[in-house]
Parts: sequence; structure tokens; C-alpha cells
Amino acid sequence: MSVYFPQKKLPYLLVLPQLVITAIFFLWPAGQAVLQAFYREDAFGLSQQFVGLENFVDLFQDPLYYKSMMVTMVFSFSVAFLGIAVALWLAVMADRVIRGKMVYQTLLVWPYAVAPALAGVLWWILFDPNIGPVALFLDRIGLHWNHFLDGDQAMILVVISATWKQISYNFLFFLAGLQAIPRSLIEAAAIDGASSFKRFWDIVFPLLSPTTFFLLVVNLVYAFFETFGVIDTTTQGGPDGSTNTLVYKVFKDGFIGLDSGGSAAQSIVLMAIVGLMTVIQFRFIERKVQY
Amino acid sequence: MTDLVLENIGKTYPNGYQAIPSIDLSIEEGEFIVLVGPSGCGKSTLLRMVAGLETITQGDLLIKGNRVNDKEPADRDIAMVFQNYALYPHMTVRANMEYGLKNRGVSKQERHNKVMDVAAMLGLDELLERRPGQLSGGQRQRVAMGRAMVRDPKVFLFDEPLSNLDAKLRVQMRVEIRQLQRKLATTTLYVTHDQVEAMTLADRLVVLNKGKAEQIGTPMELYDKPATTFVAEFIGSPSMNLLDGMLTERGIALSDRLALPMAHDYRGAIKWGIRPEHLQQSDAVNGDFSLQVQAVESLGAETLIHGVLEDGAEQPNPIVVRLSGPHLPDIGSRMWLTAPLQHWHLFDAITQQRL
Repeated sequence: MSVYFPQKKLPYLLVLPQLVITAIFFLWPAGQAVLQAFYREDAFGLSQQFVGLENFVDLFQDPLYYKSMMVTMVFSFSVAFLGIAVALWLAVMADRVIRGKMVYQTLLVWPYAVAPALAGVLWWILFDPNIGPVALFLDRIGLHWNHFLDGDQAMILVVISATWKQISYNFLFFLAGLQAIPRSLIEAAAIDGASSFKRFWDIVFPLLSPTTFFLLVVNLVYAFFETFGVIDTTTQGGPDGSTNTLVYKVFKDGFIGLDSGGSAAQSIVLMAIVGLMTVIQFRFIERKVQY
Repeated sequence: MTDLVLENIGKTYPNGYQAIPSIDLSIEEGEFIVLVGPSGCGKSTLLRMVAGLETITQGDLLIKGNRVNDKEPADRDIAMVFQNYALYPHMTVRANMEYGLKNRGVSKQERHNKVMDVAAMLGLDELLERRPGQLSGGQRQRVAMGRAMVRDPKVFLFDEPLSNLDAKLRVQMRVEIRQLQRKLATTTLYVTHDQVEAMTLADRLVVLNKGKAEQIGTPMELYDKPATTFVAEFIGSPSMNLLDGMLTERGIALSDRLALPMAHDYRGAIKWGIRPEHLQQSDAVNGDFSLQVQAVESLGAETLIHGVLEDGAEQPNPIVVRLSGPHLPDIGSRMWLTAPLQHWHLFDAITQQRL
């Protein structure tokens, strides 16, 4: 949709606040990061030395960086897959509920309103090896839980915390997608002799595929870039870097390791990834399959 | 042999709303039955009850002698064509038509043969690898019918299948559906709100009003002898003229000044009806009554004249006359008409039943 303004200045004036915010909070720091990526700075920020691409060379020769990449991949795809699968299951169930539909749906949407850090704390308490009820329960059934020592368990914990929040978002989209499928299609399939299981896999799931693909991209972006709070409140990237995702590593190297140059170089790589994912998102989602 | 029997079938929703109080209907093998009525009369609900998409809360539904009330739609051996066609948008035409056979474990070769047969019959050969989104409305309609036919069911159910087509295509598909049904001789239940569609397609019609069957009969029975004023007004276009009157020993008094002579045993308030096509133009000497012309609709082959009865009544009685060929009376002019006795319809004013 296009809107035409007779005046030349008004439209620019109207978008100015947004542009100013973008410039101050995004473009300026991003520019600073780009600059910093080419310098080496001492821990107190007293001296700078131009080092060219050395920060990047160091980065791509660091096995820890590749480990962090792997961790990010495992984490992101686990969150996306789990988040989508659980949300789809919940949406299909909620769609069938007749009595108290609104109550179910509202309750299922609530977690989305919880801040990421709080979600992290919540799960951290539930799984705390000393006081957490879930950890105690697992101990009782013979599964020793300590995510401070066991890297896999730490990964499971952050995946659960990050997924839990995202399920609400996915749920809403799936519910809307399900409600957009004409009921007569399901009825036709029922007359055609398809069991409810087949109706789902043959009819409903393919018709939801545009929604599923959209959510896959959105969830990957979420897991990549927006899970700092969850990780910071639960595992702080540990143990031994087993939950140290790329975003968390930027923070850790820059603000705890005080290696601002290396951290800035990592930010540049992340920016490139964001750019790439945005392109994918626009290219595929804008012309998503239409039925 | 009776194929489909509805015995005292009724539907009451959990909230207490009674959509269909009770309907009895028995359908012969190969018969084409049309359920017709205004929107909200329960015709679609009744069809969906037969299909198994709505529960039946009362009575028995028998298909070939078996009670199928509690059977799943898939186990009733019926096929349904939906108003919006309900084609699976992500499947090709072939896959759409095969789906029901596939679910029933029909072999690949047999599926192929059946689809090809039906596709040839409906002229869909060229379209088998396309998706519904690439088809026109008429083609989709055909695919929907093909999907129903492939399975060779005992009963076809149609839920307003033509209402999404344009007028010309609708007439064409109407004829085609009738021919196909004759050829296949499959028992058919067809729902529509369009009385022309109903009249042209049906072996027998069921006129539904508020969940009740007002009358069941052949199209001509309903046209010639409508059982109630509702049927009288619903069947035929334009609708039958219905006027309030009193039946006395002198005949039917339509107003203080106008009476039509007739001998009848009944005494009291009635509704007098005559179809627009049965009124004949006349002159002041022979005419039964006169009309003040208010509007003329020229359709070429026929002319519809709208007017009010000149009977001196305070409430003007509107009358429609249908004359064949072109006529051009002046607006406001007087037109004398005769109403032949054999075309009169009398209804009890209170019960609305035919006298």
C-alpha cells in the first residue's frame, strides 16, 4: 500500500524519530564495533593499536570459536525444532477443545510475556542440583542431574528454558494457521476414509507448511540472537563452554575477558549472519507457498 | 428397492436448539432427491447428518437396510460434494481423486484405471497433473464431482455445489449433473436454496421450512398442488399471488366490493392463490377483476406486470402477472384479467394448509 503526501517535508519528519533511534542505538554502536574490530586495545582502554585484520585471523584460528559455532548450531536447531513440535502439538489439541477454549489459549500464551532472564531464573531454580524440584525428582529416579558439571545437561537446560518461552509465540501462529484451514477439507478427508492421524499428516500438516517454515526462520533467529538472558541466568556459557553460544561469547570475551577487539570482530561475523538470515527470511517468506 | 431411509430423524443441539424436529423420508435406488428451502431451514444440517458430519440425536438412518447412525462418515459408503468443493489444495487433481481410494487400500493399477475412467467422463484428462489453484471454478466443480464418482459410492451428497459458479456455468453444470446421475444411477441427495435448480434436477423434492418437511413430491406435484402457502410461494418464479379472502356461500370475497363466485363447503378466512402465469389478459366485460399497472418488466419471451388489485380495499393487494411475449401497458393504466377456476389454490388462513 502506498500513501502519497502533497508536502515534501512531512513524510521525512514523520519517520525522523525512528531514524534517530536507529542511528543512535544501532548504526552508531555498529560503526564503533566495526572500527574496534581493527584495533587491539589494552584491558583498561588506555591505548589502541591498529592491527588490520589480525583480530579476524585470530578468531578463525581459534578452536574455541568453532566450538562455540557448533554449540550455537546444536542449541538453535534444538530450540527451533522442539519449539515448533511442541507448539504444533499444543495448537492441534487446543483447536479441538470446545469448552473453556479461551482459558486454555490464554494460559498457553502467558509464557511469552515473561522476560527471557526471568524464564532463565525460573528454570534454573527448577533444575538447581541442590534445591530444584525437577533435579531432585530426576535424582530419585536414578538420573543424576548437575548442569554445573555435565555439559550435555547444561545444554538441555538452556534448550528447555529458551524453548519454553518461544512455544507461546509458535502456538499462536499455529492456532491461527489451523483455524484458517477450511473445515470442509477435514470433513472431505474424513469422508475419504482418512483416520485422524492421516488427516493430520496428509492434509493439515502440508497446509501448515508456510506457517511452519516462517516459524523455523523466526525461531532460528530467536535462538541465535535473543537468548542471551536465558543463558546468562542459567549456565553463563558453562561448563567448559558447552553452552557458550556465539552471542554469549561476544559478551564474555568483550566484557569479562576485556578483549574488545576480538569481541568486536565476533560481532561483525554475527552481523553478517543476521544479514544473511534476513535475506533468507525476506526471499522465502515474502513469496511463501500460497494455497 | 429403498436405498436410503430416514425414520423420524431429528437433531437437537446440546444447547437445546431443535434444528430438525422430525423427518421421515425413504428414497428409492437411483432416485434424485433435492432438499430445498430458504437459508437456515436445516437442509444442510440434514445432509450433514446423512454424511455423518453431524450427530443424529433422534431416529434411524438406514443405508441399504443397515442402520448407520453411529458409523463414521468413511464407513457409510457415501461421497459428498461440498459448496466450496473442499479440494486438497496441495495435491494434484489426480491425487485429489485418488485419495479416497488410497485410504481404502485400492491397488495402484486399479486406482489409475478408475481415475482415468472418471476423468474421461468429466473431460478432466488434460488437468490431472494440475493443482486446484490452477483451475477455473467450473473445472474445480468437475474435479469435486470426479472425486465423489471415483469411489462409486452408494449415495451421492451434494451441498449447494453450484452456488459458487456464475449463472451461465450453473445452468450448464446443472444439466451435466442430471445426465451423469442418470447414467450412473446412483442415489443422490442434493441440497439447494435455488428453486429452479431444485425443480429441474429432482425426481422428488423435499421442501424444508424451519427443520420440517412442508411437502415431499415430484416437482409437478409441488407446482400443481402445493400443500401449504409456504410451498406455494417457494416453488415457482415469480411467486404465486396470495390474497386474503373469506369463503362464503357467494364465493370468495376478496374485499367488500370484489368477490369471485365459487362453490365450496368451507366457510371462513382463507388465502386465495393464483400463479402469475395463470392470469390471463381480458376486457371489461369478461374480466374477473382489474389491475392498476405499477411496473413492467420486459424479458423478451415474457413480460412481468406488477400492479395492485382495484378492489377498493384500504390495504393495496399487490399482484404479479406473467404474460408471454412483449406487452407494453402504460404505468397507471387499468388491465382486466381473468383467473381460470382450475388454477385456483385455496389455503386455510390459520393453518396455512391446502383446502
